[in-house]
Amino acid sequence: MIWHIATREIYENLNSLRFGLTTLLLLALMLTNAVVHLREHPKRMQKYHDAVAESLNSLRDRADNLYELVRRGPGRLYKTPSSLHFCAEGGEAFLPNVVHGGSGDWGWASGLRSIWRLKYPTVTPNVDNIEPDITKVDWGFIVGYVLSLIALLFTFDAIAGERESGTLRLMLANAIPRHTVLLGKFLGALISLLIPFTLATLMNLLVISMSRSVQLTAGEWGRLGIIFIIAILYVCLFLALGLLVSARVQRSAVSLVILLLTWVGLVVFMPNTLASIASGFSSPMSSDEYRKRRKEIGSELRKKYDTYDAEQPERRRRELAEYVTEEAQLQERLNQEHLAQQLEQVREARSITRISPVAMVQHLFEAFAGTGFERHRQFLQNVRPYARQFQKFVIETDRHDAESLHVVGVREGMSQKKVAMEAIPKFKDTLDLGRDFNTAAMDLLLLVLFLIVLLLGAYLAFVRVEI
Amino acid sequence: MLTTLIRRELLDNLMTFRFAAALFIMLLLIVANTAVLIEDYERRLADYNTAVKTHQQKLREKKNYMAGLAEEIKLARPPNPLSIFNVGLDKRLGNSVSAAHDLVPTLWDAFTHGADNPLFNIFTAIDIVFIFEVVLSLMALIFAYDAIAGEHERGTLRLVLTNSIRRGYILLAKYISAMLCLLVPLVMSLLLALILLTTATAVALSTDDFLRIGGIVLASLAYLSVFYLIGMLISAATRRTSTALIVSMFAWGFLVLVYPNVILVATDPPEDPRARRDTAFEQIEQLWTEFDRERLKFLHNDLVPGEEPDLGIHGYGSVGADFNSSRRTLRYYYWISIQYSEVGPRGETLVPHAQNYFRFLVPLMIKTAEQTWHVRDAALKDIYGQQAAVDRMWLNLSPIGMYDAATQAWAGTDWGSIQDFFVAARQWRRALVNYLYDTEVYAAREWFLSDKAEADWSTLPPFSYQRSGIAVNAQRAVPHLFLLVLTNFVLFMAIFLVFVRSEV
Repeated sequence: MIWHIATREIYENLNSLRFGLTTLLLLALMLTNAVVHLREHPKRMQKYHDAVAESLNSLRDRADNLYELVRRGPGRLYKTPSSLHFCAEGGEAFLPNVVHGGSGDWGWASGLRSIWRLKYPTVTPNVDNIEPDITKVDWGFIVGYVLSLIALLFTFDAIAGERESGTLRLMLANAIPRHTVLLGKFLGALISLLIPFTLATLMNLLVISMSRSVQLTAGEWGRLGIIFIIAILYVCLFLALGLLVSARVQRSAVSLVILLLTWVGLVVFMPNTLASIASGFSSPMSSDEYRKRRKEIGSELRKKYDTYDAEQPERRRRELAEYVTEEAQLQERLNQEHLAQQLEQVREARSITRISPVAMVQHLFEAFAGTGFERHRQFLQNVRPYARQFQKFVIETDRHDAESLHVVGVREGMSQKKVAMEAIPKFKDTLDLGRDFNTAAMDLLLLVLFLIVLLLGAYLAFVRVEI
Repeated sequence: MLTTLIRRELLDNLMTFRFAAALFIMLLLIVANTAVLIEDYERRLADYNTAVKTHQQKLREKKNYMAGLAEEIKLARPPNPLSIFNVGLDKRLGNSVSAAHDLVPTLWDAFTHGADNPLFNIFTAIDIVFIFEVVLSLMALIFAYDAIAGEHERGTLRLVLTNSIRRGYILLAKYISAMLCLLVPLVMSLLLALILLTTATAVALSTDDFLRIGGIVLASLAYLSVFYLIGMLISAATRRTSTALIVSMFAWGFLVLVYPNVILVATDPPEDPRARRDTAFEQIEQLWTEFDRERLKFLHNDLVPGEEPDLGIHGYGSVGADFNSSRRTLRYYYWISIQYSEVGPRGETLVPHAQNYFRFLVPLMIKTAEQTWHVRDAALKDIYGQQAAVDRMWLNLSPIGMYDAATQAWAGTDWGSIQDFFVAARQWRRALVNYLYDTEVYAAREWFLSDKAEADWSTLPPFSYQRSGIAVNAQRAVPHLFLLVLTNFVLFMAIFLVFVRSEV
């Protein structure tokens, strides 16, 4: 019986104007998305490979001296761009794609230079960008904004419309349970919406996979599958919302007004307004304060180690080595703290925006596409152990050299032997689906919960309503 | 007759659920967002005030002119209070810029003060105009979709037309009454926003600002009317409410969501302006090579033979000088850094020689910097400005683009108004150069040394930046406003034609 109602709905929809317009709109959007991705992605990859090659080259240049490795570190560490960038753009323009060390500032004793520590650069791509502001058309946008609106347009009159035309009474006069009617309507709307969406998605993927410049691996196809399922869940959510309102309201026009205004509130305004409100909850260390504290660390350390004794060059060397090591550690800790506070503020804002389903679905898309904020945090988490590994490598290498004085941090105190380029650990930025799933679990759970609540709401509303 | 019609329509519209719902959501959104926006503005204003204070303080810490001018002259742009209405480029572009005798400031030398958490930029900001863009247009369509199709279906249209009423009157009455209805949420939400604005202590609005807000209201009206007319056109053309509704919603989705975001990525990006950049950079490089040649010639011919990097002054401190450049922003300059806390006896004899050197060098630097600017300005306009102008033109093909441009111009957050700040910065630099010429401090000892006398920063010309007058805002807004009105007119004509020729 469900199928009977569903197929009736589908036939009705297939002939309708909204079906045609939806197909047209989704196809146009998805094709634009694919074309833009094919244009941008090779450039992005090229840029990444060039940057990594340059970073490795500069590492090779200083690889023969261990002290140079300590002073200038492993070079710039880059974030691997995701090949699923077209699914979720994730505000990547505002997230730095590199962590560089940097031998901070000049030391204060003659010939003394500070050593490498992790530094987190920021990007402000907009400071001199006079182009108009636009949202990137990724799957997140197409599904989150356009498809959700269309889902409401498919359901706003599902029940209210039949009630107006009187067919609802006719249908219920047969011995069909009400939930069967509701479920049939739901399935009918879902399938008739999925036809154009699947078609457009397949076209998009066809264009992308046909190109030789972009290769998708099996794992990435799996991720695309998950993203597609999430999109379906999200669409179901809005279909359920549409049915709920449609069942409660007597006239389809009223149902549409309510739905549209809810949509505007939930989708267009809520994420950004909530984020702005949440930004006031915590105030991370300001850049002035950061600079001040950096200076303080420098001057305090200088005071501590300012015991110059010309008589004991040996002790002095050890002290200077201690100085540079401690300075690097303290500054790195400060950098870390600064970054952690900034990340925490954004994380907090993001978790509050979860009230809006569009934010949820965008977080999920980002998590599975390997872009955006959570991915950035993963990248930062990858960098830290690598930095430790690199520092350990330097100390180990120095320890293996019997001629060295084992004073890491000053040139004369360290091994003078050549270091093999192959032996130096290289940074590898990895993407872990398991970890992605963990970050996504919360959003996924909320999405499903939301869906169940709305479906139950629609059911109750429809069962209790008088025709 | 017209008034009767209008009264009938007004009553019809005002008592509907959609009117109440639209009003409610509009007010809710405006109140929530204005509060957030005001807070944000206050924070930016505080940042600006701290920035100005620290800039001055740091400048006063520099004891000789050269160090101060090279490092610590920073001009800050105050946030625009009307950015609450349309933030435009106000928040995004650099709001501090260095300016000195050897650097003519442009946007591409600007940086930001304040921006405390750059990661937070992944969230987009909402302003009042954005709320209008989305909600007003949606409301207009909801009001319009059944304006004609509804009456057609119910059969009342036929009844009305049996009286001897001209069809144009009916259209006009519907249009006027719906616009009057739609004005209510617009005006009420604006009033609420204004009340919130005037109660905030940090936001000081002048009379001109109220006029500018009036301009924004005017643009909003025109925008609203465009969407109402689009809805009416659809209603007149389709003649069935359900069809009209679906078509209207898709039209809305296309015009508001899809077109502005797709058009810029879909249009082909221009070929890489690298060639233009390279030629400009070479030209600039040449200017500075010429500068260096003259500099070396001077050093060669003066009393102390040869070129000594430390100018021959021996003492406790360091001296450095070199060229520096950035190909991306086409910046090229020559920096000199002299840090002496003490000058030795042999150095003392050479101080007049160094003074002489600077008497020659600084005017040459000023001249070269200005020549550089001429090349740079033209090139940067070509490289960045042209593309942005083309993109704006594409956006201007949609009502939302026109509306955005017009309100930005009124609020003074458009590209032209931001440029005003840099024009002011350049004017200030001109005053600084004149001051240098008048006082000839660059030939004085305190230009590069601070042991006997110190730089007097208080006599420097003060920098002040006033937003451009309302006439300028109006001038910038008028083309976009005109486009909006023209669209209105065309749409109205189209509806008229469709409606007059349709059979009832």
